Amino acid sequence: MTAAAIPGRRGRAAARPVPWTRLAWVTWRQHRAALAGAGALLAVIAAYLAYIGREIHRAYDSFNACLQASPHALPPLGGRLAGTPACGALERAFMSFYGTGRGSVGASGINAQTVPFLLLAVPVLVGAFVGGPVLARELESGTFRFAWTQGAGRVRLTAARLVPLAVVVTAAAYGLSALFSWYIDPFVQSGFTGKFPMQLFGTMGTDFAAWTLFSFALAAFAGVLLRRTVTAMAASLVVLTVADVATLMSLRQHYMAPVAVTGAEPAGTGNWVVGNWFTTTSGGPVNQNAVFDAFAQFSPGTYASKTVAYLAGHHYLQWWSYQPASRWWEFQLIESGWLLAASLLLITATVLLIRRRPA
Amino acid sequence: MDVIEAVGLGKRYGRKKWGLRDCTLSVPAGCVTGLVGPNAAGKTTLLSLAVGMIRPTVGTILVAGETAGSRAARDLTAFVAQDAPLYQNLPVLDMLRVARNMNLRWDHDRAISRLDGLGIPLKQRVGALSGGQKAQLALTIALARRPQLLVLDEPLAALDPLARADFTQSVREAVAEDQISAVFSTHVVAELEQVADYLIVLGHGEVLLSGTTAELTSARGGESPEKVILSALRENSRSHAQEVVR
Repeated sequence: MTAAAIPGRRGRAAARPVPWTRLAWVTWRQHRAALAGAGALLAVIAAYLAYIGREIHRAYDSFNACLQASPHALPPLGGRLAGTPACGALERAFMSFYGTGRGSVGASGINAQTVPFLLLAVPVLVGAFVGGPVLARELESGTFRFAWTQGAGRVRLTAARLVPLAVVVTAAAYGLSALFSWYIDPFVQSGFTGKFPMQLFGTMGTDFAAWTLFSFALAAFAGVLLRRTVTAMAASLVVLTVADVATLMSLRQHYMAPVAVTGAEPAGTGNWVVGNWFTTTSGGPVNQNAVFDAFAQFSPGTYASKTVAYLAGHHYLQWWSYQPASRWWEFQLIESGWLLAASLLLITATVLLIRRRPA
Repeated sequence: MDVIEAVGLGKRYGRKKWGLRDCTLSVPAGCVTGLVGPNAAGKTTLLSLAVGMIRPTVGTILVAGETAGSRAARDLTAFVAQDAPLYQNLPVLDMLRVARNMNLRWDHDRAISRLDGLGIPLKQRVGALSGGQKAQLALTIALARRPQLLVLDEPLAALDPLARADFTQSVREAVAEDQISAVFSTHVVAELEQVADYLIVLGHGEVLLSGTTAELTSARGGESPEKVILSALRENSRSHAQEVVR
């Protein structure tokens, strides 16, 4: 027993924290396999989008060139493409990428119409597979007893795991969605589709990246709460899907008060129609069923063009509520904003749970 | 000088169950201290408090003069948890690198030469090592941190007799060479005097006995430490049973 075994406090170097860069290396070393897996998935998708996207742009450019060159060509009408017979072949070639018409590209079912739906699964999967194991594996295997007692300390170590991984998956997702936006752009530019449908809203702008971040944060949080990798991944998949569907079905349309109009449906220019109802021509309430009864006698042949007149004849007025296409970016930022806030909350809660965890 | 000083230390799990109660003890520096007691006696709780894995409900615990769990204390304390948890999927060398990057103090050359001496290949996956090799790797990592205090939770439990002897010798050598202190827990009381210089006996979350092996022996008229410990544990178990009945 010697007093020399413990140098006096004054003799010690002041305890400095372990630098973030060194902890980031640890994160990289331990998660590079998961990142490589996620990276490979994204790379395959990106390669597909880049290759087919170029074909789409070429087809669209050829079609546009034809329209401008032919004196009798009609400009796109009502948001739908309407080429002359001269440009018809080129139009069909372009539209074949959308999976419409004979000899469509992607007859297997993978085309510009279905790709965004498939992409919606990416945030869910990447988040669960990268975020689920990040802390759960440590808790599950008992290595947290090793990791948390090293000089860096558990809070710093956890932050050094969550933050770089969150940044990387979010940035990668943003890159992929930017590529997808370019890929789908000809169909948006030609007015063939608006950007409000859920499969496009969720894969363009900042929404895709925001959902990926949220998914990652949710899975990491579930990992600390449940302490089992597979359980955490499954739980986060379920909760995320519920959150996603709830957002689509009932939350998103309420971000801003919709605009109400009467007359014809305000669709076709990228607006998002969220509701419709009937009143009397003077604005009074009517039994909606009575209107449907009147509709039942309405000749389907004249349905599209004469609805407003027909209804007026019966002293009814149809109202539409919609979110104008011009609000698209505001909607993107509102949704990304709350997803970002929720993700930061989840990450903070995760770190706090780790700090308090009796272990 | 004491490497661990606990005063009125208590840790309660949930509402009622105390893992450790009213524990006041000192662990002397510069020697190997054995923390002895039956299962659920509070050994792991005490060690977890010392390494900062958990925080006390009441009381204080200092490690080398620093509050346990503080950054300063973490830098001075190396912990090998039960079953020596390490990252199974990493090669030994990468396991060392991971540990190096988690610590400010790190003696890489020493770790490498130690593993060399033990014949543990650096390219081998940690998961493919034998139990004894794994324990030695965990000890190597702990020692490479150049700690003042080495804490080992049931280090011998999973080892076969040969690995156990080797491991014990390694710890004793390291303590002598580096002039550090070591505390290990065990529920096996046989041959303790060959491993530990100082013994602390825990029962039902309380300290029953503490002293150097020589002190414990002479206090009971030359009985072996093993007998002294067993009789203390028996007495504690009996009085605890009566307490529960009352």
